[in-house]
Amino acid sequence: MSKKEKNRLFDETGRRLLKELRPLRYRILLAAVICLLLIGCAVAGPTLLGNLINRLYGWKDNPDLIRSMIPELLILFGVYALEGLLSYGKWYLLQITVSRYFCAGMRIRISDKLRRLPISYMDKTPAGDIIERMMEDVGNMADSIFDIVSILLSGFLQIIVIAITLLLTDWRLAIPVILLAPLSVLLSTRMATLGQERWDRHYSLSGELTSLAEEAFTNYPATKAFNREDVLQKKYEELSARHQNNGCLANFLSSIVQPVIACVDSLAYIVVSVVGGWLILNRGVAIGTVVTVILFARHLSDPLERVAYGLGFVQQIKSAAKRVFDLLDLPEEQDAEGVAEAPVRGKVEFRHVDFSYDPTRPLIRDLNTVIRPGQKIAIVGPTGAGKTTIVNLLMRFYDIRSGQILIDGRDVSEMSRAEVRRLFAMVLQDTWLFRGTVAENVAYGSPEATRQDIIEACDHAYCDHFIRRLPQGYDTTISEDSTAVSAGQKQLLTIARALLADRPLLILDEATSNVDTRTELLIQKAMDHLMGGRTCFVIAHRLSTIVDADLILVIRDGQIVEQGTHESLLEKKGFYYELFRSQYMI
Amino acid sequence: MRKLLSYLKPYRVKIALATLLMAVSAVCDLLLPTLMADVLDRGVYGAAEGDTFSYIVQTSGWMLTVSLVSLVSVISGFWVVYHVVSGYVCDLRSALFAKVHTMTLTEVGKVGTSNLVTRLTHDVDTLNWVISSLCGGILIIPLMFLGSVFLCMRKDVGLSLVILGAVPLLIGAGLLLSGKIERLWEISDEFCDKQNDLVRERLRGIRVIRAFDREGYAHQRITEATNTMADNIIRANLQMEIIDPVAVFVLNVTALLIVYLGGVRLERGSGLSAGDVFAIIQYIGIIMGAILSVSYDIVMLPHVRVAVRRLKQITESAGLEDDRPAEGLKLRGDIDLEHAGFTYPDGSLPALSDVDMHIKAGQWVSVIGGTGSGKSTLAQLLLAFRQPTEGKLCFDGRDASTISPKDIRTNVSCALQKSMLYAGTIAENLRMGKPEASDEELWQALEDAQAADFVKEKPEGLNFRLEQGATNISGGQKQRLAIARAILKDAPIYIFDDSFSALDFITEARVRRSLNERLAGKTRIVITQRVVSAMHSQNIFVLADGALVGSGTHGQLLESCPIYREIFLSQTGGEIA
Repeated sequence: MSKKEKNRLFDETGRRLLKELRPLRYRILLAAVICLLLIGCAVAGPTLLGNLINRLYGWKDNPDLIRSMIPELLILFGVYALEGLLSYGKWYLLQITVSRYFCAGMRIRISDKLRRLPISYMDKTPAGDIIERMMEDVGNMADSIFDIVSILLSGFLQIIVIAITLLLTDWRLAIPVILLAPLSVLLSTRMATLGQERWDRHYSLSGELTSLAEEAFTNYPATKAFNREDVLQKKYEELSARHQNNGCLANFLSSIVQPVIACVDSLAYIVVSVVGGWLILNRGVAIGTVVTVILFARHLSDPLERVAYGLGFVQQIKSAAKRVFDLLDLPEEQDAEGVAEAPVRGKVEFRHVDFSYDPTRPLIRDLNTVIRPGQKIAIVGPTGAGKTTIVNLLMRFYDIRSGQILIDGRDVSEMSRAEVRRLFAMVLQDTWLFRGTVAENVAYGSPEATRQDIIEACDHAYCDHFIRRLPQGYDTTISEDSTAVSAGQKQLLTIARALLADRPLLILDEATSNVDTRTELLIQKAMDHLMGGRTCFVIAHRLSTIVDADLILVIRDGQIVEQGTHESLLEKKGFYYELFRSQYMI
Repeated sequence: MRKLLSYLKPYRVKIALATLLMAVSAVCDLLLPTLMADVLDRGVYGAAEGDTFSYIVQTSGWMLTVSLVSLVSVISGFWVVYHVVSGYVCDLRSALFAKVHTMTLTEVGKVGTSNLVTRLTHDVDTLNWVISSLCGGILIIPLMFLGSVFLCMRKDVGLSLVILGAVPLLIGAGLLLSGKIERLWEISDEFCDKQNDLVRERLRGIRVIRAFDREGYAHQRITEATNTMADNIIRANLQMEIIDPVAVFVLNVTALLIVYLGGVRLERGSGLSAGDVFAIIQYIGIIMGAILSVSYDIVMLPHVRVAVRRLKQITESAGLEDDRPAEGLKLRGDIDLEHAGFTYPDGSLPALSDVDMHIKAGQWVSVIGGTGSGKSTLAQLLLAFRQPTEGKLCFDGRDASTISPKDIRTNVSCALQKSMLYAGTIAENLRMGKPEASDEELWQALEDAQAADFVKEKPEGLNFRLEQGATNISGGQKQRLAIARAILKDAPIYIFDDSFSALDFITEARVRRSLNERLAGKTRIVITQRVVSAMHSQNIFVLADGALVGSGTHGQLLESCPIYREIFLSQTGGEIA
């Protein structure tokens, strides 16, 4: 990023950020008022204390010193108490504003946005990226409100007030202070920037180091099997050394900021003392004036530092905001108005369907086929050949480029997505359970189902027996990574879910890996049960399914290369023939 | 802890130097308020009375000197400190990393991969922090504290007692909160994790959610979690942040008291000067700063204790591998398991029991079984990752326990269940087993593993960089690279542990054919759950629940072994025989 860009505070993202903050304006205004009062305290405190110390210097002339001090002491106590209360109040206000309204509100908006984003976006964006935008970036944006209000506003105001007070007190003393304070800020921000670059590098090296360790330990057996411990050790040590050298510099640069500022502060003190002494002697300036200036001088570099810090931070905030806005501005899925129609019988027709994920690499070209209600369509092909593409099109996870898909004669593009999807039940190889009870998971597609319905579906899907053995039966909480149910049992649960949903069309992925033989038999029986009477699209792995399918679609490299029945395809001696042969013969 | 600190030994001179430099700077910082008070007392306030300007200039000169000395010493102090710390941390990390690779697979499994990573990152970072504050600050803080108190006392004992009265107040407040702070942090983290999990779950299940039209429900769940999280984090933050205003308030009120009592004492004529009062107020700042940083350290203490305890798991780990040096053994390739069994140390049911398996050099055998049948344990025995807990395993008739694991692994090449590729180029990954292999050899191995096509498609070819976990290639491609890596290595014994599972049947058949040629005369053990991968081999061993339930050729087993028949039927539907 160029220097010029860096300095532009109110570019598009900046303006957008301000716009987002509009609903919060009264709260921010209130915060600003609190900030002003705090600045008042910050000015009143040293002034009063300076006065009191002044009095102490003149104690010889005042016989009733202590009594005369008491009112001021009490006022000062009040000021301090107010300062404490106000600063906590400001924190409270910002917390409930920022965390409660802004952060939570923004996250809920993103969650809402997710409902309308096309699956294609989710497919090409890692989940971690979306989560980072939703959690970390929004969190960083929220900090920006804190910074804008707390740091910039109060910092700027404080600087102005203190500078004016100093100038009013005595401009000759004020000038060196006002000139020196920016010096400390300049120095400290320069070092902080240098440090920041180092930190950025340090963090990325930390990431690399973690990855390396993660990889080494995950691959522990391979490392040992190939006797490669030494090579890895050397690699790790080299990276670790680079990481630490960087960290060393980063730490060093950030830790010397404070001493440098302290030194410049002392310098200001020295200058004021010398100039002040000279003024007292030669210009008859009052001693109290000099003391006040000294006390104020120590308060000037503090807000300056904060402002500099805040300005540097704004840039970081804006890049976070940009990522969040980019997500919120993504084009949404267009949807047709759905009209409820008569019950569907299950006739599916593909007419001149063209499709590709990437326009330069066409996948499906001019697919034509008619599937009658209750027929079974097997989709076969090597792993990774794109068998799920058909699923994506049927469920309208992706839209076809041209042509038509008709269900009972109705073009699906004229139906709403939800309506199309309501026609299908789907059992994928990649089972998905959410954190919730077993019953909730089974009833996922039919929230109105009664407990009796759920139990019945589970019984048909051969789940009932193992569910009853779970600690809380149907009310046991399970999730994706729960170990209470095995991989095979998860598959059975998703079959029960599809059974309960009772849709006229069915999409089924048969692959069962990592399942013991007994469970696999149950899964097959449950799937057969599920298929009965429905129009089924089966990503087939079992010979029995393939052989008695009404239509086999053979997919290779994402394209439908052959279609027909088992016998007709074998006769053809094409790709299917080779596939079949290699699977079951030498 | 002592063991962890022992890594500091080489740095003791530097640590002493750093401490000295920090101490110099601390003394300078302590001198400054006194000098300032002098300037005020005898300079500025005396200015009206006579020619004290030269005194001001002189004392200012001293202040300047002291400030600069402080600055220089603190900067050089930090320089030394961070060099010590980075050196220490580097040494510690290397030692830990090396140690992990001397641990047995059982031990590594017991601690867990992600825990090991946390040890090397998070826990070492915590130690990093401890050492830098030990060297850089903590030793100086008591000095600052005692020095300030001493200098205050010198000015006025009575007033100093006021300060000392405020100290327990602050420490008490700090302790009260620090007990809670950790819990509050945990709460924040916990809710963040929960929310992350929910979003991740939703993104993963996006197809199912949309298929069942439940986006509304998913959104509602996240909305609720977001609100709960916000409420809880606010509550935690509000409690944490209370310490700041309280500390500032106590500090300010103490300053007030000093002014008041200072006035009282001035009036009584105790020899105290107004400048002294001013100086004492400055010292309050220093003392409070010291207390606050100590209380911050106290808050961190539990973290440190946890980190040290966890690092001990590695440094004091007892489960170490046999590290006998390799003797350069060359095996023929006979493998015999005699009544071999293995039970995991957690004492559950045996993973393998009473397995009798005899494999002759040059034979191609398969081991078939479902999940939990013990076939992965068998692979680990053959690679010397674990030793049989009963019976014995022999290579060429020699008991494996008498051979160095390094020797065994030189003689056994393997493609493992999880492909286990490393971040780096394809060539680097392949050459793991044969560093001197030429590019032609690499291509030949890729060809044999049916991987040459997709490597050729990459513009970088053999220099195509794999990301960590090889996430930039597909599962089938990973397996084929792992196979190529295994066959590139020259060894008398080759093990393929479930390493064809992501290949489609055509590809697998082709790999099988080329392996038949390439590995002719070598011992080949294919461990699999797929009947098609096993049915053509010369001998098939069937494992179920840790026991050997059958062995023989495909035809013999169909006749004799019901479990094999069951597997065969369930996988093929029994349409072919």
